Amino acid sequence: MNTPTLTLLLQAAGVSLLLALAAIAAGTVAAALLTALAFSRLRPLRFFYRLYVYVVRGTPLLVLALLIFYALPALDLRAGPYLAGVLVLTVYVAALFAEVFRGGVLAIPRPQWESAKSLGVPPGPLLRKIVGPLVLRYALPPYVNVCVMTVKATSVLSIISVWELTLASREIIERTLAVFTVLSVAGVLYFIMCLGIDRIGRRLERRLALRGFAGERV
Amino acid sequence: MIEIRGLTKSFGETRVLRGVDLQVDDGEVLALIGRSGCGKTTLLRCINFLEDYDAGEILLDGQPLWYRSGGGGQRHRVSDAEARRLRQQMGVVFQQYNLFPHMTALENVCLGPRHSQRVSAAEAEELGRRLLARVGLADKVAAYPAQLSGGQQQRVAIARALAMRPKVLLLDEITSALDPELVGEVEDVIRSLLPERIMMILVTHAIGFAREIAHRIAYVADGTIAEIGSPAQLLEQPRDPTLKDFLRRMR
Amino acid sequence: MLQLNWFRTYGATYLDALGWTAVTALAASAGALVWGCALFLLRLTGGRWGARGVDAYVQAFRNTPVLLPIYLIYFGFPLIGLPWPAVVCGGLALVLQNGAYISEILRGSYQAIDRVQFDAAKSIGLGPWHTFRKITLPQVLVYSIPSLGNQVVLLLKDTSLLSAISVTELTMQAKLLTEQTGAAYEAFIVVAALYLVLVSGTEVFFRVAHRTVRWR
Repeated sequence: MNTPTLTLLLQAAGVSLLLALAAIAAGTVAAALLTALAFSRLRPLRFFYRLYVYVVRGTPLLVLALLIFYALPALDLRAGPYLAGVLVLTVYVAALFAEVFRGGVLAIPRPQWESAKSLGVPPGPLLRKIVGPLVLRYALPPYVNVCVMTVKATSVLSIISVWELTLASREIIERTLAVFTVLSVAGVLYFIMCLGIDRIGRRLERRLALRGFAGERV
Repeated sequence: MIEIRGLTKSFGETRVLRGVDLQVDDGEVLALIGRSGCGKTTLLRCINFLEDYDAGEILLDGQPLWYRSGGGGQRHRVSDAEARRLRQQMGVVFQQYNLFPHMTALENVCLGPRHSQRVSAAEAEELGRRLLARVGLADKVAAYPAQLSGGQQQRVAIARALAMRPKVLLLDEITSALDPELVGEVEDVIRSLLPERIMMILVTHAIGFAREIAHRIAYVADGTIAEIGSPAQLLEQPRDPTLKDFLRRMR
Repeated sequence: MLQLNWFRTYGATYLDALGWTAVTALAASAGALVWGCALFLLRLTGGRWGARGVDAYVQAFRNTPVLLPIYLIYFGFPLIGLPWPAVVCGGLALVLQNGAYISEILRGSYQAIDRVQFDAAKSIGLGPWHTFRKITLPQVLVYSIPSLGNQVVLLLKDTSLLSAISVTELTMQAKLLTEQTGAAYEAFIVVAALYLVLVSGTEVFFRVAHRTVRWR
């Protein structure tokens, strides 16, 4: 493989990573709001949550992407492919993160809720000092999992003409027919990105665990 | 008759059995007692070769099991097929999770005879029903383990062990994991087996039960048999200081 | 804006594509199950190298997007003298990818079996083949049903990616109809709804299957 091709692929990998990080950031925020809906006292809001998750998880990402891709011009919103791509990924990933957060809340053992209630902790500090850290502790592994899935999901955006690693690979292959080399390099690059996120996640887990969360001995 | 000579076993760095010598006669009931980690369960598992051991001999009716001495004083392990054949002479009941959860009680009991002893399906079923009736579970032949209480599960496990017509029964703390009110039904079944004079070696914490049914009790400490004798001797006049301590704590 | 008799006009075309999606998903699921079992068996019986090999395989497929194997087989096989049809190339990629995940599911179920059961099997004289056939396998399969259901749903959604190599399944069909008629909303909303039906149907199937075979 010659250097220009390799550089191109590395740049494309960078684009994939940036897309993923943008979607993760936006998706996490959106998911926090969604999770609040999931536990709302108002039935319509809870229903909206369930509907949102049902639709987003039941349709392939590609179909969601194409829907948004074709819908945007129709709504007279001109957005570049990158923005559209991040938007699609965010909508998708927000549902996954919301389910992770919801699972984290449900995983908190009942005695902990009851102790907090019996101590009379008001809702603000309750969320920040008790619920927040516990959810973080329980939800971290699946959260990291979804982050890795986001990186892999950026590859689907190639089909709506977002230039990232998979599209770059396909373009090179259609030009040069160097199928095996190009895809091997692309595979290795994805592998490094995904494994990297996984490792960072595991290190974070270990650091949090040292602080004695969730009953481990310090 | 079972003879154990110089049985030694280590798990990594830890020496769990240090040269155990023991002899158990046909029809004898021997109870093994001792603190957790003293090696009594390991000893039991070695007898059936569920654990491999580092040195020593185990003989059944004069025949060495598990290892045969080859030429030049070397010992070599018997083949897997041979080990399987030898194991059928012993029945084992474990502390819990004995039964296969995806099979009914009857299927659990018949499995051994069907597949290891090539008994016909009809004969195996008849044997299975008879044994389940014997342990008082004639009405539970089609029940799955999840539908049975702990005590009932253990009784099925005993029936399953008996289905192989073993010479020896090895019982590893079979009532320790049970709720107290279920212990009695299992002990009753064991009592009912005494007239048949099957050799039984049981690891147990139930000292009272051991005193009642055992011919001898062996106190295992630190990987050896520290003291052995009749229940009266061992429990009323213990000589070993750690045994005295142990008995005091069990009261 | 929204043409409401859309489905009446294009219903047949959709159903054709739906058929392709369903059949491809079914075939790939069956293939992935077989391949996943093979990988699982290799891990159990292949010693240290077998286990490591399977681990490497699983890690490779876990950390790369499924479009890469799809492109690899679709563009690469003709170059080595195997010009297979696109749907077979795509299906094979799905089998290889999902087989990796399925072998991990089976491994998890295997570890959930209490070790005492293997001791008990030994104590009643069952040999390795019989232990596997009557004790291990039934339990592994039943414990795996919920997770296998999840995996099949994921595979079903991944069939949409085969549109990238011009297989006429549901997503490809939606794209074609959009280009022909310009009615993007209708085309894709119907397709999304059809996917939802397929996914829900699959989930119901696995839930019923689990309840039926469980021995509770």
